[in-house]
Amino acid sequence: MDRMTRAAAQAQRSAPAETKIRLVGAAKTFRVRGSELEALRPVDLEVGREEFVALVGPSGCGKSTILNLVAGLMAPSAGRVLYDGQEVTGPNRRVGYLTQKDTLLPWRATADNIRIALELKCRATPRAEASERVAEMMDLVGLKGFEHHYPAELSGGMRKRAALARTLIYEPETLLMDEPFGALDAQLKLLMLDQLQRLTQHRRMTVIFVTHDLGEAITLADRIVVISARPGRIRAIHDVRLERPRDVFKVRFTEGFARQHERLWDELKDDIAKGTDV
Amino acid sequence: MIDRREPAQARDSVVVWQLALGVALLAAWEALGRSGGERWVSEPSLIAVKIWTWLGGSLYVHLWATVAELVVGFVIGTSLGILAGMIVGRSPGLATILRPIIVGLYSVPLVSLAPLFIMFLGWGLLPKIVLVAIVTFFLLFFNTFTGAERIDRDLVESMEIMGANRREIFRKVVAPAISVWIVGGMKIAVPYALVATVTGELLATRAGLGYLLSQATEQFDMTSIYAVLLILMVIGLLLSEAAARIERRVLRWRHAAE
Repeated sequence: MDRMTRAAAQAQRSAPAETKIRLVGAAKTFRVRGSELEALRPVDLEVGREEFVALVGPSGCGKSTILNLVAGLMAPSAGRVLYDGQEVTGPNRRVGYLTQKDTLLPWRATADNIRIALELKCRATPRAEASERVAEMMDLVGLKGFEHHYPAELSGGMRKRAALARTLIYEPETLLMDEPFGALDAQLKLLMLDQLQRLTQHRRMTVIFVTHDLGEAITLADRIVVISARPGRIRAIHDVRLERPRDVFKVRFTEGFARQHERLWDELKDDIAKGTDV
Repeated sequence: MIDRREPAQARDSVVVWQLALGVALLAAWEALGRSGGERWVSEPSLIAVKIWTWLGGSLYVHLWATVAELVVGFVIGTSLGILAGMIVGRSPGLATILRPIIVGLYSVPLVSLAPLFIMFLGWGLLPKIVLVAIVTFFLLFFNTFTGAERIDRDLVESMEIMGANRREIFRKVVAPAISVWIVGGMKIAVPYALVATVTGELLATRAGLGYLLSQATEQFDMTSIYAVLLILMVIGLLLSEAAARIERRVLRWRHAAE
């Protein structure tokens, strides 16, 4: 672990808990073939600056809905969503959003997909610097050698990593991630978790991370929000009291991790049974 | 990636077989002509001589007329079709209103409009150009329209969140997504445009390959008929090949996956 990261981690702990994202009674109802489907019951949630929050819960419980609300891709049916104290009314350009479905542009080769954010006027980057950062990112996510492959030529896991690199490259102040590592094998997943922890601490990012993998949540998060089966509502919020920076590869064998895991599991097991037959 | 190319030797032997078959067919044709069928099937040697004579001078006026009608009509029809398809495709309200009208118009076999344009516009190049333009317009309109309607919202939203402005979204997402459909439409439109040109010329004209064809028919000149058909075939092949090349180039990323 380098010195910068450690300093950043220290700063994070001592910084006053400033609210970055706030959901106030935010709810979402969809109309499906004439009938109303309640996806999310009114939710109150605060995410502090530079905080890493994981959302866990059974599938279809509205985790992704919360991300869509924060990203401004959906308007809440009731309540409000605030970002830096301002109401989110349209696409939220302060966040980087890694959706469950990768949104790589099929007509761009992998390197060009990863570069795209740096081509935009709002953060125009000199060509040489952009190329350097792209090469760095491709290396980071293990896609070196696939620069000129089109998305259709990559495997699902590789596309996921390309999408991750595309989001991380412009270092958004807030990261929204929807099950980003679901398609990866166990080993690669650990490597990616390690990189993600490094990067988010180093760049002092605020993160909301949706996952159904409790281990992943405990490894990375400061707080874990447990959401109940549909219609989603917050069932509990757990603080993860594990020292930072965490050793992604070993933390899962510590006693603290095991205790945390057990508590979360007790919280979730009934709902997971319910969630599967939704 | 799997290399599906056959070994060079196998490819060579295919070419040899194709050449042999071609020569055999020509020989059979020639034999049929010389053994009394000349009145109906002519002979390849006579056709070759005919084309050779035409190449010495008189063909170019006609070739030029046909190609000019085709190219000008195609360019006009394509541009207007793309433009209209974009406008209608990007405004759902307009699409709902116009759809039945456009579908109705498209249901008329378009080449049957040729007599109408000849009545309106006379015997020059213009009626043919308009006919070709209308045929290509509809094909390009429908394809562009479909492409514009089917743009993946998720791609657009992901770019919006990254901070792209409207122009950037158009250049980086909308245009490339629609270009797939545009190129596909152009590829389909090429043979239709050739049919429209020749049909127009057959009906009324003073120049063009279709005019040569109708002249030859009036004089019962089978050799000239076959010669014109052969020239049209070559033009058709060249145009289709050009369209296929453009498609392969523009849609490299699609072929990469196959």
